[in-house]
Amino acid sequence: MPLTRDIPRSEALRYLGMGKSVTPDPDTLALLDSCAETLTRESVPKSVCKEVSIAVTDSEVLIEDTKIQSTGLARNLKCCKKAVLLAVTIGPACDRLVKRAQVRSNLEGAIYQALGAAAVEDYIDQIDEKIRTDYEGEGLYARPRFSPGYGDLKLEHQKDWFRILDITKNTGITLLDSLLMVPTKSVTAIIGLASEPSNEQRHNCEDCSMANTCSFSKRKEIT
Amino acid sequence: MSTIRPLRERLGKEWLFCDGGTGTILQEMGLKGGELPETWNLTRPDDIRKLNRAYFEAGSNIVNTNTFGANPIKFANCEELVKAAVKICREARSEAGRDDDAYVAIDVGPTGKLLEPMGDLSFEDAVDCFKTIIKAGCEAGGDLVLIETMSDAYEAKAAVIAAHETCDLPVIVTMVYGEDGTLLTGSTVEGAVAMLEGLKVDAIGVNCGFGPKQMLPIVERITKVSSTPVVVNPNAGLPRTENGRTVFDVAPDEFAEVMTQISSLGVQVMGGCCGTTPAHIKALISAVSPLPFKEAEEKDICMVSGFSSCAVIGLKPVVIGERINPTGKKRFKQALRDNDTDYILTEGLNQEEAGADILDVNVGLPEIDEPQMMQDIIMKLQSVTGLPLQLDSTDPVALERGMRIYNGKPMINSVNGKKESIEAVMPLVAKYGGVLVGLSLDEDGIPDTSDGRIRVAKKIYEAADRYGIPRKDIVIDGLAMTISSEPTSAIVTLDTIRRIRDELKGKSILGVSNISFGLPARELINSNFLTMAMTNGLSCAIINPINGPMMASVRSFKALMNLDPQCGGFIAAYQDYVPGQTQTAGPGKASSAISSDKFSLSEAVEKGVAGRAAEAMQEKLDKGGKALEIIDTDLIPALDKVGKGFESGKIFLPQLLMSADAAKAAFEVVKKSMAGTRTESKGRMILATVKGDIHDIGKNIVKVMLENYGYDVIDLGKDVPPEVIVETAVKEDIRLVGMSALMTTTVVSMEETIKLLREKKPHTKVVVGGAVMTQEYADKIGADCYAKDAMATVRYADLVFGN
Repeated sequence: MPLTRDIPRSEALRYLGMGKSVTPDPDTLALLDSCAETLTRESVPKSVCKEVSIAVTDSEVLIEDTKIQSTGLARNLKCCKKAVLLAVTIGPACDRLVKRAQVRSNLEGAIYQALGAAAVEDYIDQIDEKIRTDYEGEGLYARPRFSPGYGDLKLEHQKDWFRILDITKNTGITLLDSLLMVPTKSVTAIIGLASEPSNEQRHNCEDCSMANTCSFSKRKEIT
Repeated sequence: MSTIRPLRERLGKEWLFCDGGTGTILQEMGLKGGELPETWNLTRPDDIRKLNRAYFEAGSNIVNTNTFGANPIKFANCEELVKAAVKICREARSEAGRDDDAYVAIDVGPTGKLLEPMGDLSFEDAVDCFKTIIKAGCEAGGDLVLIETMSDAYEAKAAVIAAHETCDLPVIVTMVYGEDGTLLTGSTVEGAVAMLEGLKVDAIGVNCGFGPKQMLPIVERITKVSSTPVVVNPNAGLPRTENGRTVFDVAPDEFAEVMTQISSLGVQVMGGCCGTTPAHIKALISAVSPLPFKEAEEKDICMVSGFSSCAVIGLKPVVIGERINPTGKKRFKQALRDNDTDYILTEGLNQEEAGADILDVNVGLPEIDEPQMMQDIIMKLQSVTGLPLQLDSTDPVALERGMRIYNGKPMINSVNGKKESIEAVMPLVAKYGGVLVGLSLDEDGIPDTSDGRIRVAKKIYEAADRYGIPRKDIVIDGLAMTISSEPTSAIVTLDTIRRIRDELKGKSILGVSNISFGLPARELINSNFLTMAMTNGLSCAIINPINGPMMASVRSFKALMNLDPQCGGFIAAYQDYVPGQTQTAGPGKASSAISSDKFSLSEAVEKGVAGRAAEAMQEKLDKGGKALEIIDTDLIPALDKVGKGFESGKIFLPQLLMSADAAKAAFEVVKKSMAGTRTESKGRMILATVKGDIHDIGKNIVKVMLENYGYDVIDLGKDVPPEVIVETAVKEDIRLVGMSALMTTTVVSMEETIKLLREKKPHTKVVVGGAVMTQEYADKIGADCYAKDAMATVRYADLVFGN
């Protein structure tokens, strides 16, 4: 099954350094469209989710039998007794398309890279939305999703996600020794479930260690 | 003790049955989520024995040891775990009274890691990892090696090589496919079968993934192409989660019923996987064993495969692209000497787009390390194209290196009728598998009659037979020699091709363009000769697919001979045909559409029109312009203008890259004209993405920018260990090293590299960049410069080299 939703072009353009205020030239747009078509066709998205029980203190989260030290995550999961762990990927096609394109055109390589990033975000958004709606039916409210590597949640915990979800077998994503994932267009996350809704925002720059230098930081735009 | 018949005498000759699920049953016995089942071999051996015994008692002939994940990457005590598991399984067999007719299979699962080039486990490390398991299993008394649940054909290949290099036990391989019949890594059912048959495994099959119903179409595809016994081990239906636990719904009777349908497809070994129990296996055995047994039929299919696509030889003419070959090509030789892989890969991609089915790979040059180059280029080509490759070398060492590392079943070019050649090449093909090109020449030279060439061909077939290489995997080269010196040579060659088809019932190949050597208008002779050869039965044409008339000949032949359904391929290629115009297939279509604008070189670079930039550069050179002057007065100012626009935020990354690509195209023209002569550079530097990091797109962009500004870049690639960077810097006396890292976790490798570099080569400067890099970080790890983008790196290089 290829991707089912159109890859958000504006996101891809943002990754290419062209925010909303910039009008891209027609050549770039045409190339973006044709690459998006290829990527959509060749991608094979896969995902795995699992509901887990959790216990949260001020600076620690217990997921099943796994202890995780992170104030950022603990704050995100405050008041949650349950959570959904998930891993998604759009498959290996994007990595190959980037590599292949780069042999002859850096522009095309960068475009596939940006489209892939936009596509996997959009794909996890879809799954996120579904989880949100499904649990609202049960009277549970989903928190903004949180991923290993956000704030003080160490990337090392990727290993816990891989073990608990059996990610490699279920999705084909493998974890390198450096804790990066292949296919590179993959995301792991946790979504807390609480009995009360919260107004916490996703993309919370306060939690991010890159907030001071990030060119996309919302904080910079706000302050 | 046991007087058991060797498994090979029974495999494929009678019904044999594997066992069923392990993990699902252990979970019922109390295995916790995340607990590693293999630890039970030491902590709860009685439970494992009970499990094994239940399958022996249910009637399984082949029972797996509890070693699916027992590899040295996951377990320091891997050997102990494997030996314990084999011992337990043997004891269970005795307890069940099955010593005389059931076998203990050393179960080998995937490592859980991804192999290079996409991942970080080297092929040889994977082989070693599997050897550890298999050696321990053999020593403890395993009867066969069962490699299962492989979702990567390449990893399966590593495991098979490990088994064959460790022991003589039978080897069975089952893969896990998606419902569309492709592996997670992209290979198809047919490609995997071709590769595994080439590696001479004893049985091939499919397991896990889904239930028997969903598996049926995949089994059909396997049995259609496999001459080797087929194994089918499905799950008990599709997995479903219930209260956080994985459950399977297909009950034993229903399972057995679908398996009887599958059994009639020409399957020889059956069993189960996740969710199946001894009850499933018992039901399966009682349903299937009374049914008529069919041996695997010999399929006369000659197939080669790449990592994702296959080519069948013998049905219709196959085009083998000849461009990856330095013979007579100055620019290509230069690329080999400079390790300019992008140039070589571009030749590959251009030929693929022009319609090549297979790419010939010849990287032999006296002054380079050919075996190493063969290995590097194959790995790099296979990470950008799924096409099968033809490994072309006169050096058996280079051939072996290539065959070992190759992902799929390659074509091998070549062996000839000489004893020495046969003895050097055939054992390699027998071991690794491949379709072998046999040149119809021997110790007496090239026979000048078709009789003589057919005689050599027969000799090659006989030798292949002795080495156990299937006849269907031999393709005979009828040898095209120029008609300019030997007037009857085309006649002899065509006669040879026809007789290979008619008398030997074999397949043929020609290096077509040799026929016109020394003549003008070679493509006229070549394309007409090609049509004549195809009419006489030519199976494979080694040609330049970028050449319009050659591909026109192939496509017309296929359309005329009803080998192109509804002339679809022909129409797709020529719907915009303009009579009388030279037709060239290949790349550059998109850029040539806008290149009709008569931009100057600098305008073309500024506007990012690659085709026109190359053309304008050529025009300037043709008019006697000096390359370096043109670069300084036209190219670099144009790039600078774009670069300044980028720095000031008026121009964005896409336009910057478009300009960079255009400048690169112009540079390619310069390189072509100057190939063979030393070019002056503004300075040499190293670029690398540091150890642990695989994100190299930023580094590649920096490289192109630097090259466009006249720097000579030694690109060490991605995931580069500190020692390699430092050694290269010392050896090549490098003044500037550039490094990139995307993740905070890999910045550590950057720091290590800088430390080591300061120690071994203190005067070399270091520039760093990457998504997480900041000035602060750069200072902390002791870099000389933080470059926020490609332009900043260029500026710093200018500073260091005083340009």
